Amino acid sequence: MGGLHGVSTRRAAVTLAAGSGGRAFGIKCKCIVMADAGKASKQNQSKTFQCKNLHDYLKTLPASTLDRLYNHPTTCLAVYRELPEIGRHYVIRILFVEQPVPQAVVASWLSQENSKEHNEVTKVLKELQVWQEAPIPGGLPGWILNPIFKKNCRMALLGGGRANCIQSQLDADSKPRDIPFLDQYATERWECVLHYMVGSQQQEGISADAVRLLLHARLMKRDEEDGSPVITREGFQFLLMDTAQQVWHFILQYLDTVQEHNLDLVECLTFLFQLSFSTLGKDYSTQGMSEAMLKFLQHLREFGLVYQRKRKGGRFYPTRLALNIAAGQTSAPGDIERVGYIVVETNYRVYAYTDSNLQVALVALFCEMMYRFPNLAVGILTRDSVRQALRSGITAEQMINFLRLHAHPRMVANGPPVLPPTVVDQIKLWENERDRFNFSEGVLYSQFLSQQDFQVLRDHAQDQGVLIWQNERQRTMVVTKGGHDDVKRFWKRYNRGND
Amino acid sequence: MAGPKKFKKDNDSKKWKKRKKEDDDDYYDDDTNDGMDGDGVPDAAKKNAEAAEGAGVLEDEFGAKDYRPQMDLKQDHGSRPLWVAPNGHIFLESFSPVYKHAHDFLIAISEPVCRPEHIHEYKLTAYSLYAAVSVGLQTHDIVEYLKRLSKTTVPEGIIEFIKLCTLSYGKVKLVLKHNRYFVESPFPEVLQKMLKDPVVQQCRLRRSAEGEGEGEENVDANGFITAVNDKKNVPQFGGAAPAGPSSEQQPTGPDASQGQEKEGEPVPEDITTFYDKIDKEEEDEDEAVLKTVSFEVNQEKIEILQKRCIELEHPLLAEYDFRNDTVNPDINIDLKPSAVLRPYQEKSLRKMFGNGRARSGVIVLPCGAGKSLVGVTACCTVRKRALVLCNSGVSVEQWKQQFKMWSTADDSMICRFTSEAKDKPMGCGVLVTTYSMITHTQKRSWEAEQTMKWLQEQEWGIMVLDEVHTIPAKMFRRVLTIVQSHCKLGLTATLLREDDKIADLNFLIGPKLYEANWLELQKRGFIARVQCAEVWCPMTPEFYREYLLCKTSKKLLLYVMNPSKFRATQFLIRYHERRGDKTIVFSDNVFALKHYAIKMNKPYIHGPTSQNERIQILQNFKFNPKVNTIFVSKVADTSFDLPEANVLIQISSHGGSRRQEAQRLGRILRAKKGAIAEEYNAFFYTLVSQDTLEMSYSRKRQRFLINQGYAYKVITRLAGMEDESDLFYGTREDQGQLLQQVLAANDMDAEEERVPGENPQRPGSRRVGNMSSMSGGDDAVYHEYRKAYLASIKHPLFKKFRS
Amino acid sequence: MVNVVKGVLVECDQAMKQFLLHLDETMALGCRFIIQNLDETHLFISADILTTLQSRIDDLMDQVSFPLVEKDS
Repeated sequence: MGGLHGVSTRRAAVTLAAGSGGRAFGIKCKCIVMADAGKASKQNQSKTFQCKNLHDYLKTLPASTLDRLYNHPTTCLAVYRELPEIGRHYVIRILFVEQPVPQAVVASWLSQENSKEHNEVTKVLKELQVWQEAPIPGGLPGWILNPIFKKNCRMALLGGGRANCIQSQLDADSKPRDIPFLDQYATERWECVLHYMVGSQQQEGISADAVRLLLHARLMKRDEEDGSPVITREGFQFLLMDTAQQVWHFILQYLDTVQEHNLDLVECLTFLFQLSFSTLGKDYSTQGMSEAMLKFLQHLREFGLVYQRKRKGGRFYPTRLALNIAAGQTSAPGDIERVGYIVVETNYRVYAYTDSNLQVALVALFCEMMYRFPNLAVGILTRDSVRQALRSGITAEQMINFLRLHAHPRMVANGPPVLPPTVVDQIKLWENERDRFNFSEGVLYSQFLSQQDFQVLRDHAQDQGVLIWQNERQRTMVVTKGGHDDVKRFWKRYNRGND
Repeated sequence: MAGPKKFKKDNDSKKWKKRKKEDDDDYYDDDTNDGMDGDGVPDAAKKNAEAAEGAGVLEDEFGAKDYRPQMDLKQDHGSRPLWVAPNGHIFLESFSPVYKHAHDFLIAISEPVCRPEHIHEYKLTAYSLYAAVSVGLQTHDIVEYLKRLSKTTVPEGIIEFIKLCTLSYGKVKLVLKHNRYFVESPFPEVLQKMLKDPVVQQCRLRRSAEGEGEGEENVDANGFITAVNDKKNVPQFGGAAPAGPSSEQQPTGPDASQGQEKEGEPVPEDITTFYDKIDKEEEDEDEAVLKTVSFEVNQEKIEILQKRCIELEHPLLAEYDFRNDTVNPDINIDLKPSAVLRPYQEKSLRKMFGNGRARSGVIVLPCGAGKSLVGVTACCTVRKRALVLCNSGVSVEQWKQQFKMWSTADDSMICRFTSEAKDKPMGCGVLVTTYSMITHTQKRSWEAEQTMKWLQEQEWGIMVLDEVHTIPAKMFRRVLTIVQSHCKLGLTATLLREDDKIADLNFLIGPKLYEANWLELQKRGFIARVQCAEVWCPMTPEFYREYLLCKTSKKLLLYVMNPSKFRATQFLIRYHERRGDKTIVFSDNVFALKHYAIKMNKPYIHGPTSQNERIQILQNFKFNPKVNTIFVSKVADTSFDLPEANVLIQISSHGGSRRQEAQRLGRILRAKKGAIAEEYNAFFYTLVSQDTLEMSYSRKRQRFLINQGYAYKVITRLAGMEDESDLFYGTREDQGQLLQQVLAANDMDAEEERVPGENPQRPGSRRVGNMSSMSGGDDAVYHEYRKAYLASIKHPLFKKFRS
Repeated sequence: MVNVVKGVLVECDQAMKQFLLHLDETMALGCRFIIQNLDETHLFISADILTTLQSRIDDLMDQVSFPLVEKDS
């Protein structure tokens, strides 16, 4: 906080009215700041839905699977591309070194101040099985690149080796598809999935496989009464993410289920990585693809990652969705997102320049909708509408991010800040209002006969991590509901021991 | 009645309506049910565009009114700036290259609902359309231009509504020429129709056609006097010439408009050409040779005639042809060369004098934007005897000062008529007085009696009505029966539109001629850039405990006297004193006012403060560098001008009054010189005690300003306050003593101040101090809406979602 | 010996604690529900009242809120 700095010079009172204040005053100068509204409550963070990035995902795979993946140069390149910058340096430096490199030497490449970054990168490289620990002669710890990764990464960077399994189409397409067409196709297909989730009336429907996938990903669940899929808390949060994140998350869930389709995870991932290195607007041949991969291709086609005019046409076009696939949360430039369409006013009005039911549905998640014109929907942020959204699991932060992400170019041009700060604050205040009370079920222990009894039991509860409140003077403590049984058993044992 | 019930969701909506009447937002008491409601208002004016959309409007799956089936998007919608909803609401993109065209047009035909940064909302009403025709727009032009500006086709119902409200309006004028009254119209068929009415017949004055000396008029076959209007020039106002109309005009060439160039977006030609046409038409109305017909009417029967014409759906527009008035003597008054009008002042006056005559009507400008210069200029333009009515004695003094500052009028010409100052009125050119002075019914002194008599005998050229929104319709009607004036100019900052009485003013004074855009004036530096903040002060546990327990009348005192609020006030005052600002602290509650001021050793002004002491305090505040903070009660809301102040702290206020909020903001709006570079140069704090009713009042008060584009920053913690160690009421003990004082205070202390002369006293009904009446929180519209909303949560997702 | 009671630990700010005490003392929920007043920001209350209590809190918040803007005029 800036404190009361910058107090302007005093002048004769009469001229003061002219506003001698300079930029001294506070609200803008952070002198007087809004403290509470900014804080995200603990609860919310845990409620927030996490989308894994590429590394997060890969490190969950067993080492053997990773090795199989690294058998393909494109995978190595994709992994390499997504490494932190320092990590890429390390890899390049030792790519052609055949012996282990002392860890101390590697550490010396960065100055002391950056040891934190160094440690992080070391960890990432290890988790991804890019390098392994290997003692150097004399027993000092060293690093050596995973030989499979090394071999294929070299190949990716230098060329050579076995040809890409995605092959360019040799003969020209008689009806070639241009990039705008592919973008539009991809958007339409992807929105079909989202439309299905929001239960929009004008949906085209999605395949049973896709529905199963949504259920598997817990973005939807079976209604208890009629068994039809309904959206979940996570589903709401999913809707407010940007498209690249949505696709990546969705694909990760898909990869979880590939075995059910008799597909090989490594084969699928490799294909995806290859797609991510393909060229937008170019067509590729399906020749040489296995039955399994052709099946996989049909799934990708349904979600709009590739375009095929005919199923058996022998050619396909990757779309931007596929190209961005491994980018995870670091959403790549040239994302397929449309131009921002939302205007948020200081009077809490929200205008959505759109004719898409889906986009209106998303805004309507937390706005009351008032009017619908052919190319504009008018809504308003109210306490009721925001609370409704909060109740269904959407956080204030997600609403704000969504509005920011899709802000109309006019808003962006006027920013920063892109959104009116008072509206952002208010959404957070509405969220905070719900967090004024913290209720936790528990068990109250009181009226201990001795201070020592109290201390013993309290310390035990504390060690177990189940103590939620205590006061030594009052000899009173509260433990969680879950911790009660353990504390009770301990107390009985303790008492028997004392008898 | 405490708040809780009010907010129950399942309350009967009828009850709300009833309550709304009782708890009118009006903060100067106003009798709603004076039995004259709707009197003097034509039927068509009561029509509502909302009704025009009919029952057939469907809702989409998200609960929005779905207008898509009723309109088609135009191919070139991108370059057209607005959407017109079938319920009369119009949305305008402020960033459109043709914004200016559209804005000028919309402000003439509709009421602004909200004007924040990007998209403005307007609403077509019968009144606004009446205003449009009275400044010279024709039905066909309105419809045609609306069609051209719209991104979509314009709904049929709207076109019908415009026709309904405009076809008969603005066709007939009441004109005073050479001291004879004429009903004049360019449409002979309209006059013929009117004359079929026996009442109108009676009012007509027929002179023998061959009358001596009077026979200059041409009389047509119907017995109408025909005339051809000559060219007349629109008057020039004061020193405005250099920055005058030319700079305000829209450049017409395709490459002349900056907006166009910048955007690179094409402006459809039909928009520019039509705009030029409308713009010209308005200015050069009289240059076109206009043929009119008229008949003379009996002066004694003007009242009856006006009323009858309204019933006939042809309200008479009052226009004063002051240049041809040879009976009333000119007064020798002119603007000083130093009086330079700002573009919007100029523009508002052009609306008033657009055709060389003076139209009656209301001009709406934010406080601090120079309303009085507009009033003075109007008087200097008419140059006939002028009467200025204001709502307090202090304000009378200020008007006199304004006349002396801007015009050549001197003391001998300006006469004040108040209970304190009784200048000799006879023969004066400008008389300044208060509404209550001329309407009150108590016995007057002999001198005052004489002045009143004189005043009533005069034929005033112009009557300026200051703060016109503060006068109840009833009082206003009284003014009209006492004062005979050719032309009436209402000035106000806030024409809050949900108030029916203000709608009546449209017909009692005249249509709204102009309404400025606050945000635009702020951007251009004509009014101060104000940072509004709502400071949340947590109730101390002891105070909150009492608050929950006590009866409602005491609650107010508890939340105003909340120690956290006191400390926040003290902190802010110190902070701004160090910065060298001038701060006014407002408290409607006198107990709190005195306690705060005495404890902090600051001067204060409230109702009983004598005129002398007031002036002394104000002078000190103005010139003494040691007096930088004063405390005032609501007497300072409108009455005195405090141009020095740039910080305002509000610690208690009148329930949910939006008007008071706007007026208070106005106290610090006067543009601060040389401060263009700063982001904000004035600060408006409202301190509210958290978790009390004050929170909801505060929100209600803000709504008008929020619609003008203001944004209130919520401050939950004042940074730096912990470091200020010697603020009062820091210890539990001190807080406890304060609590005792508050609890010992009697009920009278909990009331807010009643300013004498402001409210017509109603025996037996004590309005102030009654929480529910002050809340103003009963907005029938809102409650009905909300009820509907809760009854069926419309989002299809939420229907499906079960958490 | 030691006394053991099941219930709900409430953590809130001081003003809100006063609100709960007020509801308890005035039997606004039909009965007393505070088992023990722990400190300035903590209370221990009976679990079966929780739903009713939460709706009362919502009412209070509704009461001190007011829509910031008119949706229609």
